[in-house]
Amino acid sequence: MHSASLRFTGAMLASIVLAFVFLLIPLSDTLLLWRPEWVALAFIYWCLTLPDKASLLMAWFAGLFIDIIFGSILGQHAFTMIIVVYMSLRLLPRISPNILWHQYIVISLVLGTYLLLNLWIMAATGNNPATWHYWLPLLSSLIIWPIYSWVLSWFRVERGRFDVF
Amino acid sequence: MNDIIDNNPQSSLPFKFMLMVAVSAVIMAVDYRGTALQPVRTALTMFAYPLKYAVDVPFSTYRYLSDYFTDHKKMATENRQLRTTLNIYAARNQKYHSIASENRRLREQLNAISAVKEHFLLAEILSVSGNTFRRRVTIDRGANENIYSGQVVIAGKNIYGQIDSIAPNSAEIMQITDTDHAIHVRNERTKSSALAVGTGKTNLLELKNIEANVDIKEGDIYVSSGLGQLYPADYPVAVVSSIAYNSGDSFMKVMARTLTDFTTTHEVLAIWQPKKEAITKDIEPQSQLKKNKQKEKIKKKQKTVNTKPLPKKH
Repeated sequence: MHSASLRFTGAMLASIVLAFVFLLIPLSDTLLLWRPEWVALAFIYWCLTLPDKASLLMAWFAGLFIDIIFGSILGQHAFTMIIVVYMSLRLLPRISPNILWHQYIVISLVLGTYLLLNLWIMAATGNNPATWHYWLPLLSSLIIWPIYSWVLSWFRVERGRFDVF
Repeated sequence: MNDIIDNNPQSSLPFKFMLMVAVSAVIMAVDYRGTALQPVRTALTMFAYPLKYAVDVPFSTYRYLSDYFTDHKKMATENRQLRTTLNIYAARNQKYHSIASENRRLREQLNAISAVKEHFLLAEILSVSGNTFRRRVTIDRGANENIYSGQVVIAGKNIYGQIDSIAPNSAEIMQITDTDHAIHVRNERTKSSALAVGTGKTNLLELKNIEANVDIKEGDIYVSSGLGQLYPADYPVAVVSSIAYNSGDSFMKVMARTLTDFTTTHEVLAIWQPKKEAITKDIEPQSQLKKNKQKEKIKKKQKTVNTKPLPKKH
């Protein structure tokens, strides 16, 4: 059942902190439009690889921090981030998590929902971005995913290889 | 049976999920309606600040180093230029002093109250990117330096924005190009007024409520009118970059480029403007909370002064 585990205690938290570092890197305006959804992708990664360790509470707090950093209304990203985790966990039994295009299906569905819900909340509270550029992060997230998941794989270890049981 | 339960540690997931959705919804509603969650925001900002700062360190170091290693020749010419401008400014300042003293004399003759000097504080922008479609930046000064929410921030001689939320050591500025932001402006040439609303795009404002028959040209400079009671009057804000008019509309679509270049500005000035109540005394800038308390005290005193003499009359 457990073919992989965390590299060290708190590895998941460390990976989320890394995602926040990526999020906070200052970029030029054109690059900013293409910024992948680092934090959401990190949570999707953990849901696909270690579903029993994925934590709704951690996602909620991470979302709250994004709200602070973005200056969006408090609870917006917290709400959408737990949707990310819940949807990924629910989609997981329906796919084979090791196949890349299966992963792509999950990411497109989950991130699409994430972005759409954020857009709705922003529009309802009067901050509608009103441009197609809003959807560019979805594309860039899909492009960066193979590299990013390889980076994140450092935070876990495969156990099965050396287990005799 | 036990195995099944043990293998499924996430069985309470739907319940937890629903609970947290409800909590988020409540928080969003409360935050949208009022300012009750401001302390929470402040506390979390304090947690986020070290991370923001740490991420900024390599970039600020790079800026510092690239400044340090610039060509000596270039530095020398720059230095010469700066010295010349300094001399020019010193001369102008001299003129300003004589005008200021003259102004004071005239005010004394008119029995007018003396104007109080504005206080300034230089703050550095932690060049961190927030939300793509909002225009907000964090600075390295906060409540400890008496920065208050709603304070005006300028860059050079142009208006930059206003302080939105504060933490002890940092504050968030809403730039004038933020979609939530509007500033009342006046055309320097024709004196006709307009509302400059942020577009969420870099250096771009939209001037609203300009009727089709208003005299306006590309290159017109708009300055703050001071009518919003927040920004001081006559600070340059934006220059008109494009004018479009669809026949049949009552208003023109006018876009203006801000005079502050938000992409290159790294230092800003926070201003303390003298409040009308505070003009009688040259008081130090204080936090908004203290000011409010002081106002209440003054009101109470006035009440006691007003009520005491009344019984004597009867």
